[in-house]
This record gives sequence, structure tokens and C-alpha cells, in this order.
Amino acid sequence: MRDVISAPASGLDLGREYGHHQSPAIRAGGLIFCSGMVAVNPETGEREHGTVTSEARRIFENLKLLLESAGSSLDRIVQVHAMIYDRIEYDVLNRIYRQYVPDAPPARTVMSVQIEAGFKIMLDVIAAA
Amino acid sequence: MTLFRQVIEPGNPAVDPSRKFNLPLSPAVRGGDFVFLSAMAAIDPATGERAHGTMAAETRQILTNMGALLEAVGSSLANVVKVNVLIYSMLEYENMNAVYREFFPTDPPARTVCGVKLIGGHKVEIECVALA
Repeated sequence: MRDVISAPASGLDLGREYGHHQSPAIRAGGLIFCSGMVAVNPETGEREHGTVTSEARRIFENLKLLLESAGSSLDRIVQVHAMIYDRIEYDVLNRIYRQYVPDAPPARTVMSVQIEAGFKIMLDVIAAA
Repeated sequence: MTLFRQVIEPGNPAVDPSRKFNLPLSPAVRGGDFVFLSAMAAIDPATGERAHGTMAAETRQILTNMGALLEAVGSSLANVVKVNVLIYSMLEYENMNAVYREFFPTDPPARTVCGVKLIGGHKVEIECVALA
């Protein structure tokens, strides 16, 4: 059983907005696999470049919309790959990150990579359905 | 509770990098309801040699091999739930994306693409999780 989770707000459909060939999320085997999320406005789909803090805040808000539309939530996240543009921002990431997963946080890996379209952070999430 | 875990041998041993390049990995491992694939680079399925080429050519070779590997274990590209694409430069994103979409015509998997430093002179590596 493999279900496509459609975008909970039109701006979060990156396939339609930017031609990314991906579903927002897939539910399978009791888990929800989310596509890598970047900071876009959930209504308009416009990119919201900013600081690691502002981008992370937007991503978590969008992630909350996406997971809750699929019957899950931020506190059901199992694993996160947090990708940042420069590891010098590691502590900046941690400060905003802990606000959104304050208790029993998910397993996490942080890496420094090139992210699409000049973003500073992208989150890749697996959650319990 | 002990979950089922099984190492998958590819149908074609030429595309098994753990043999060809003596790497400590299994090409695929089944666990629970899922098959987890190691990241695949472009390998010529006839010889097992690295198939360096353009982003488009490497992407096509990888996804062709990935489809064959998944089918050898009773899964398929249509059963893939998540893909991670690692590319050497995000400037080549669209060259990867254009070929990628041919292999997942409807209801594509969730996906993350990022730019990283790859080994072996390859331009792209692709890993996935699929329903078994």
C-alpha cells in the first residue's frame, strides 16, 4: 500500500510550482516519507529566502501542515536529515530546531551540502503515520 | 520482536559494487515492509565498469539498473516511496530531473536532491527505499 500525500496548500506543490518531479510525501508501511522541504510560502509558492532561522521556521510550519493533513504531526517525526549550506550555522540551526521538537526529538543527521535555489536549509523527514 | 532482515543479491552480479570495488555494503537489504538500496552510481551492467558520462546519461543508467535490481527482489520502480539524489552540482539539477521523470511517469516518489562531493568521478548517485 503506497499512498501519495498531496500538498495541503497549493504553494507546497513543488512539482507544479517548480517542476520538481516528486510527490510532497508518500505514506507506506506505517511511515510517511516527505520530500526535502525548503522555505516556500504555502499559499503562493514563492521562495522565502532568509536566514537559517527564518527558513527553518517556515519549513517547520509547512511540515506541520503537511504531516497533520496526513494524520501525523511534528511529534511523530522519526528521523530528520537536516541539510545546511554551511556547517558554521550548526548552532543557529539547533536553536530554532529545538523549539519545534522540544521533547524526545527525532533521530537526526546534519550535513553541509548545496541546496537548490540558494536556500540555506532543507529538511528531509520520515514520520510515523 | 525480531523483524525480518534479508540481504538482497542482485540478479546481475556485474552491477554489485561490493564485489567489483570491494566495498563493505550490500546493494539492497530488505527489512520490515521495505527494501533499502545503497546509493547507486552509473555502472555498465555488461562489464561492471564505471559508466562515466553526462548527468543525463548517468541518471538513465542508474535508474535502469535500479529498476532491474528492484524487479529481481519482486519490487519495482513503481513501488519506490522515497528517493535521495546526490549530484555533484546543483547547476545540473534540470539535466537530472528531465531524465528522472521518464522513469516515474505517475505518482512519483517523495524525493530529496542535494549537491555533494561524490567519489569515483561520478556526477550523480541515487538511493531509494521501496515497498518490498
